[in-house]
Amino acid sequence: MTTDVVALEPRSSRLLQIALRVRRANMALVLLLALFVGLTVGAFMIIVTTPSLVHSWATFFSHPGATISENFNAVWFAYEQIFQGSLFDFHAMRILIDHPDKANLAIALGPISLTLQDATPLIVAGLGLAIGFRSNIFDIGGQGQVIAGGLIAGLIGFSLNLTPILQVSLELVAAMIAGALLASLAGVLKAYTGAHEVIVTMMSNYIMVLLLGYLLITNLFARPGVKDGASKAVTPTGQLPYFFSHLSSGLLVNVGFLIAFAMVFVVQWFFNRSKTGFELLMVGQNGEAARTAGINAKRTTIITLCLAGALCGLAGMLELTGVDHFLSPNFGGSYGFDAITVALLGRNRPWGVFFGAIFFGAMYAGGEAMQAFTPTNIQYSLAQVIQAVVVFCVATPALIVEIFRLTDNGRFRSTGSAGGWTK
Amino acid sequence: MKLELRAVTKHFGSLAANKNVNLVVEPGQIHCLLGENGAGKSTLMNVLYGMISPDSGQLLINDEVVSIRDPKDAVTHKIGMVHQHFMLIPVFTVAENIILGSEPVKPWPFIDHQSATERIVALAKEYNFDIDPSATIENLPIGTQQRVEILKALSHNAEILILDEPTAVLTPQEADALMIVMRTLKAQGKSIIFITHKLKEVLEIADVITVMRLGEVVGTTTPAETNEAALATMMVGRDVSLVVEKPPAHTGDVTLGVTDLFVQDDRGLTAVKGVSFEVRAGEILAFAGVQGNGQTELVEALTGLRRVTAGSVVLNGTELVGQSVRDVLNAGVGHVPEDRQRHGLVLSLSIADNLVLDQLDSSQYKSWWGRKLKAIVENGTRRIAEYDIRAQNEAEPLSSLSGGNQQKVVMARELSRELKVLICAQPTRGLDVGSIEFMHRQIVAIRDEGVAVVIISSELDEVIALGDRVAVLYDGIIQDIVPPTTSREDFGLLMAGSRPTVSAGSIS
Repeated sequence: MTTDVVALEPRSSRLLQIALRVRRANMALVLLLALFVGLTVGAFMIIVTTPSLVHSWATFFSHPGATISENFNAVWFAYEQIFQGSLFDFHAMRILIDHPDKANLAIALGPISLTLQDATPLIVAGLGLAIGFRSNIFDIGGQGQVIAGGLIAGLIGFSLNLTPILQVSLELVAAMIAGALLASLAGVLKAYTGAHEVIVTMMSNYIMVLLLGYLLITNLFARPGVKDGASKAVTPTGQLPYFFSHLSSGLLVNVGFLIAFAMVFVVQWFFNRSKTGFELLMVGQNGEAARTAGINAKRTTIITLCLAGALCGLAGMLELTGVDHFLSPNFGGSYGFDAITVALLGRNRPWGVFFGAIFFGAMYAGGEAMQAFTPTNIQYSLAQVIQAVVVFCVATPALIVEIFRLTDNGRFRSTGSAGGWTK
Repeated sequence: MKLELRAVTKHFGSLAANKNVNLVVEPGQIHCLLGENGAGKSTLMNVLYGMISPDSGQLLINDEVVSIRDPKDAVTHKIGMVHQHFMLIPVFTVAENIILGSEPVKPWPFIDHQSATERIVALAKEYNFDIDPSATIENLPIGTQQRVEILKALSHNAEILILDEPTAVLTPQEADALMIVMRTLKAQGKSIIFITHKLKEVLEIADVITVMRLGEVVGTTTPAETNEAALATMMVGRDVSLVVEKPPAHTGDVTLGVTDLFVQDDRGLTAVKGVSFEVRAGEILAFAGVQGNGQTELVEALTGLRRVTAGSVVLNGTELVGQSVRDVLNAGVGHVPEDRQRHGLVLSLSIADNLVLDQLDSSQYKSWWGRKLKAIVENGTRRIAEYDIRAQNEAEPLSSLSGGNQQKVVMARELSRELKVLICAQPTRGLDVGSIEFMHRQIVAIRDEGVAVVIISSELDEVIALGDRVAVLYDGIIQDIVPPTTSREDFGLLMAGSRPTVSAGSIS
């Protein structure tokens, strides 16, 4: 009840008011603190998993300063690598300013381009799953739908040789249709037989993974003369062009990111303005009321899953034609599942998903840099631990509000525990 | 046992649900707590029962300060509560429900059913209840289920019973029976806090009446010192008309014709068994009857929500059976659903959005580019003013509105469409006097515009006040269609399934 606190102290200093305002929970603050908690837990993990740092505590009582600074430096160095590997390397920036040329530009902007490249499929797939989640449909089949999109895009990508714009558009549309068709299976089954979409979509993941493995040894897909399960490569006309390729050859970010960025606006429009988006929200919030208002819930269920699937299919296409350029048995990686977390992290809001995906992309990119450059080879998994803790904190904002004793108007925490009987 | 609440205050956000509330309940007293929805009665009772923790305040039992942190504490302090929605497990027996949470065990872990049954029989005998401990809850009438709840509280040695709107779900006969139960309990020295909207009941049974408004106690009185009109004025804060002002109906042609309608309920049992009736333009046909006699299924069938097994529903010559909900609504059927929160509204969406929930396709609110947000907002602002919906603005989520204002949103939305027939199920359930007055005026006004109106209500007073003709539904059949001037005794008999000996004068 912050408002009351402020109201009770009308003459309180301006500084106090600002302090109260800062302490009031809002999403940005919660996110920031979640990141802080994540990094703290990560620091602890770094210390306990690095033998030399563990040994340093033996001399803690004789040389406390040395112990603390050694630990702090090690943690700081690791986090510096994550930051430099995912965003900027200040050293490279300075070189770029002194000697502005293509090679230095690539080095300076390399990390952030890697982050954006890794984030691209997550943005699109995350948006797709968020559409489902907001109408209470849990599409767990992101992985399968990503593979479906990748398979079709690959087939068109390596078997045709058209004008680039035509071939890429064809891949894009076909991948979206493939993802939508796969997901619509779960939609139709849910609408007409009541089969739960979680089961159906989850099982479809297995089918698609195995189908991918099988297709990769058929003549249709397999690269001639190769036994490692790699497919033929997408022809250059079917590949997504890189941005800034005229500026620098080292920048990884491609047109796929632009498409993903545009999708944020499309989904934003879909929820805010489109009739279908509104209906979908309605069915999600209160299916009974939607039915009473004359909305065909079955149709809405199927449409929702189709849209979710289409975006996941698109994610697969962007990954294949923009980054991988050929299919392998583990195509798609964990994008389908990470997208679930990204949707959750972004609270199913388009911009939330966008920034959630960027955060994940940064942790992929930064985590690898950390593993490569820290002297003790701090494992990539540590980045995943930080990711996990941040996601955990964001998913339970009440926890953050409690840890940091933020004031809260009931948005993140019920006011139930306040006050009480006075004796 | 004497109970006293001192200066109880509870805020929800910036809203004060209880402001400095004082209440004293003497032993053996029936204390009525009266107030509009949102007056803070339920909050106060939830505070007392330990479900909500107050911001400040004191609770005294027998003049000693105590603290109740959860319902378990409340039970320890001999406070029992019968909630409006029963907390019984339908598939368990009476005995099992009563012992739930404090099961007597013979060598662990076996439940001692025999001693449980014996205890309940003894308890029922003590309070003169006619209850079979081995009956399954779902097979019992609502009135009996309520008695099981009361018995459950008594089995925990409750000295104070809180009854939260206990008569809202009962037939008039069952309500009378409850009054007798309450008197019996009082004679045994138990105190009762009785929450209700119904002024008649208050005057009939209360020893002391406390009236709350906007979180504060506005007055305490006794039945001898007051009357219905005075109580209503205290509750609402202004004079309220308790009678519906209704000029005689000017009926036109038959608008809605229902013939031999058969409808099944969710379990596949026939719930509506061959219902036929006609409603003319400009008249109100009110359905009386105890809940669960096919009303819900009838309404759902009329609005296309439930499949019709046989029969026809004709609106101005068009068959509605077999059409989609969308088409039925577009044909000019307005629907105010029985459970507004479940079926009528999406609580998390804004008032403006809820006001167009079933008009998404209308060109007024949709263009090729998407929903016309500006038009939707403008409509919201206009309706809020027109229907006096108490809200900060049109963007406020519906969940923050009181029950009466939520119902106004539903009504405003349905009346904003071009209607031929309006179907209102329980239009004033849970509403306070002021909102009821408003709803009734709206319904009469739409009738006078020439719309055929069907009212389904378990509130006999409402049916009599609104109906130009009254159909009594019992066990899925229309017992009779009678004029609203029929005596209450005859209505009671019809609602219980028997025909009155003196003919009520059928006018079907």
